[in-house]
Amino acid sequence: MSANFVFGRRSTVRASFFLGLLPVVVFAILPAAAVFVVAMTDIRSLPFLPVHWVWFQNYETFFSAAQIGYNLNALKNTFVFAFAVTIVQNILALLIAVLLNQKLRGTTFYRSVVFFPTILGVTVIGLIWTLMFNPTASPGAAIWHLFGSSSAFFGDPNISLYLVIFVQIWAGIGVAVVIYLAGLQAIPNELYEVANIDGASSWQKLRLVTYPLLAPSVTANVLLCIVGSLQSYQLIYVLTGLNNNATQVLSLAIFAQGFGGAGGSSQSQGYAAAISVVQFIMVSVISLIVMAYLRGRERKL
Amino acid sequence: MTTGRILSYFAVAVVMVFYLFPLVFLLNTALKSNAEFFSNPLGVVQHLAIGNFGTAWTRGNFGAYMLNSIVYTAVAASLGTLISLLVGFPVSRGYMKHTKIWYGLFVALLFLPNALVTQFQLILHINLYGSQLGYILIMTAGIGVGPLLVSGYVKSIPVELDEAAALDGVGYLRYVFGFLPSLLKPVLSTVFILQAIGVWNDIILATILLPDQSKSPVTLGLFAFQGTYTSQWSLLAAATIIVALPLMVAYIFLQRYLVASVIGGAVKG
Repeated sequence: MSANFVFGRRSTVRASFFLGLLPVVVFAILPAAAVFVVAMTDIRSLPFLPVHWVWFQNYETFFSAAQIGYNLNALKNTFVFAFAVTIVQNILALLIAVLLNQKLRGTTFYRSVVFFPTILGVTVIGLIWTLMFNPTASPGAAIWHLFGSSSAFFGDPNISLYLVIFVQIWAGIGVAVVIYLAGLQAIPNELYEVANIDGASSWQKLRLVTYPLLAPSVTANVLLCIVGSLQSYQLIYVLTGLNNNATQVLSLAIFAQGFGGAGGSSQSQGYAAAISVVQFIMVSVISLIVMAYLRGRERKL
Repeated sequence: MTTGRILSYFAVAVVMVFYLFPLVFLLNTALKSNAEFFSNPLGVVQHLAIGNFGTAWTRGNFGAYMLNSIVYTAVAASLGTLISLLVGFPVSRGYMKHTKIWYGLFVALLFLPNALVTQFQLILHINLYGSQLGYILIMTAGIGVGPLLVSGYVKSIPVELDEAAALDGVGYLRYVFGFLPSLLKPVLSTVFILQAIGVWNDIILATILLPDQSKSPVTLGLFAFQGTYTSQWSLLAAATIIVALPLMVAYIFLQRYLVASVIGGAVKG
């Protein structure tokens, strides 16, 4: 902390600081903290209804016989989704980044193209891929037809989750590519020259120079991807709807239980808040474990 | 050309097909009549049906939705950037006491739990349900990585500049609003762009907080349009292009900043 304050009175600084912070506290931080409190009530989406403390009843409901099947299914889908997106997206992104880091013509253009979906938003992306995979007349249908088969695609519970994963990776890989490219470009060229003098093969250069020096980018990308994909549901919502067992994930369940109208306006939003808490704990624990592992690995390399 | 380079170009071509083909197919579909699309979905358009765009534009009411989105995005992202500046700068300089606590708060902003329910309840109880003001306030508060980015960048501005300005009798607020915006231009545009992307692309909070369709942002307008004109693919494709076009144009001009923004945001995050 620099002790000298040069602008005379500190009160102006404090006033402007807290004025700026106020809307963030009121509209983001307090609601986030209140989730833990609201999760212990039976608050509803209509105002002026009495609110009761139900303490841990919402959590009991979460694990109750009536709900556990739905919730375990959502948990399973969340893990499949997050695991597949994280692994596949990072491997592909790394390959594409290495590819675009070569001296090829037009690499800036290729990078822009891969990054483009990042700004498109889920509704546009959702429509593009619903069109690409519409069951009657589409490139997807044509490919399936080649193999003498047909599919309902996003309407087929056997493959809809995998299609959603595919679209999520298509949409999100640009960010990972850009981060890996930045990491690759930060590796000093001299290291490769030294490796060349030592007669290292391309594979050895990749394994012994590129990979270890890229470790911080891997940590950043994997963490971003895990935290993001464990909580993402907007794309799933636009591609396969709100109450679809095949693609139901935990975050979508929060939205569905709180606002989906499954139980009408009498539905308790306290229960949805309890799912938020469960999800928050899950995301925190998983990202802390993964972060500890990746940081430890960085040190070893 | 070596085999390696040929292989590289081949791999790049495969990636490009995955990204460009859906966009080309979208455009091709938008230019066909619905009858032509169903008789020959994959073929190149034979009879241009430019009228799809006009039909989609009027039936989907996209002009009004677009205007809503522009207002929400401009106001929320500007206010969010202003907030990031007001809180990020003094903490970075140590002008506020308890620096560590404030940094902790900035980091915590990235890991908040899903607060859909409580944000909805808050807006409901202060009588802003269905009002654009309530929606804008919620979107403004989603500043995310902004304060961290600003405080990180401020470290590269010599503190002597603050001292020189103060010696010349410049007050704190005049310094923050008159001098800092030009000094911090790169990071402030990054913060603005990141938040603008988030606000423009939101559909969930708009669904929850704005039940009146006339106040929907364009993303939600497109989603509703998809629900109404299911399987009228030419019309849907035209509508999608209408919604995506401003983003494409903005992207062409901003993509260099965008890429820098994402790297900055990710590394801090």
